Amino acid sequence: MMLDRPTAAELLDSVAEYLFAELRPEVSREQRFKVLVAANVCAVVAREVRAGDEPDREDLALFGELLGGEVDDPRAAAAKLAERIRSGELDDRIDELAPRLEEHVRRKLDIARPGYADG
Amino acid sequence: MEELATGVREVLADRGIEIGEVRLNRIPGGASRETWLAEADGGGWVLRRDPKGTVSLVPLADEYTLISRAADAGVAVPKPLAFEPDGGRFGSPGLLMAHVDGTSVAPRILRKPEFEPARARLPEQLGEALARIHAIDPASLDGVLPQPAGDPALVQVSEWERQLDEIGEPLPTVELGLRWLRANAPEPAEPRLVHGDFRLGNFIVDERGLAAVIDWELAHLGDPIEDIGWLCIRSWRFGNDDRPVAGVGGLEDFAPAYEAAGGSPIDPDRVRYWEVFGNVKWAVICARQAHDHLTGARRSHELASLGRRIGEPEWDLLQLMRGCSAGEAEEQAVS
Repeated sequence: MMLDRPTAAELLDSVAEYLFAELRPEVSREQRFKVLVAANVCAVVAREVRAGDEPDREDLALFGELLGGEVDDPRAAAAKLAERIRSGELDDRIDELAPRLEEHVRRKLDIARPGYADG
Repeated sequence: MEELATGVREVLADRGIEIGEVRLNRIPGGASRETWLAEADGGGWVLRRDPKGTVSLVPLADEYTLISRAADAGVAVPKPLAFEPDGGRFGSPGLLMAHVDGTSVAPRILRKPEFEPARARLPEQLGEALARIHAIDPASLDGVLPQPAGDPALVQVSEWERQLDEIGEPLPTVELGLRWLRANAPEPAEPRLVHGDFRLGNFIVDERGLAAVIDWELAHLGDPIEDIGWLCIRSWRFGNDDRPVAGVGGLEDFAPAYEAAGGSPIDPDRVRYWEVFGNVKWAVICARQAHDHLTGARRSHELASLGRRIGEPEWDLLQLMRGCSAGEAEEQAVS
């Protein structure tokens, strides 16, 4: 992380603003949606940068708890949990797992689509 | 592109349609197939073509047959004109159809004032069109679509599980949905023709409403209610979350027309089951599109961004599953 301002998130904000407010009205109808997607991608990444490693740490804690053991990488832990669910060994815990995975999905949505989980 | 224009001109000439200069323009969207608009002084046509080196679920040759059968059954579809195989006059496999005026762009259909009368008619028109699709005799599709090898619900669950495995993305929530679908499958349905992608975005709409049902590449034989669950998932309401049918109406607006046109009575529990499935399927499709970008098969920031939208159907499927066990089922399915 650089010390200088603007920060990474602030730079992304500036690009998102340019794409959305300045460029989008100027381009063809065909390109407009693509520009909107690009602006949105910048906004998503800006939120992710601002959130830091907190969502990953929370996911790691959750997956560790659900797997009943130590895990050190959230993606590897998600893969392990996915595999355990697929095998059927957690079938009698579906109702218990659903609200816990909701916590994980809410964290994803807080970055990717704020408000979706409250709609 | 010059070759493609020549191919289009020749194929049309075979059908007695003589045109001069053809202008070809790639239509954006169409995630897995290329769509070209061919325009000449004599009219407009649409060419759907497989990108080189891709494998489609329903080959375009079969899509040609399906659209023809649907047209015969009175479903509004673009009139199919010709199919050319791989190495034919369209290069890769391609299907040439008449152009249908209107738009398939969901936000335009949902928000533009000129589509207000269309929005009022759509739920009924969709009910009638879908009933006609489901009324097509599956025996007439012998050799085009295989009979499901077992319970249609479980066959679909296995199919999308297999597709997830091809991508290899770790998605515990989708896995939980897949297990729930296995545990909660309804009584096996008598297999019917299922469109497979019957939702806003695949309806060409003009000021009078539904002008054509397009994009038949996910068609298969299965539980007809699968189409209704897919139609209703939140992702296809495009922000009009309180209107499950294409973001314009409720099941109560859709069901009478569906049943009047020969559709079987709609069981809300079965719709909800297929909504859970629909969310699993949409999550897998998002993952697949992002994967296509990551592998370099089709580099695109649009496809890449879909990888981060997986949380949306994941959230919705968890809500639907919860509604089920908490007994809020009916309320959710018809609200």
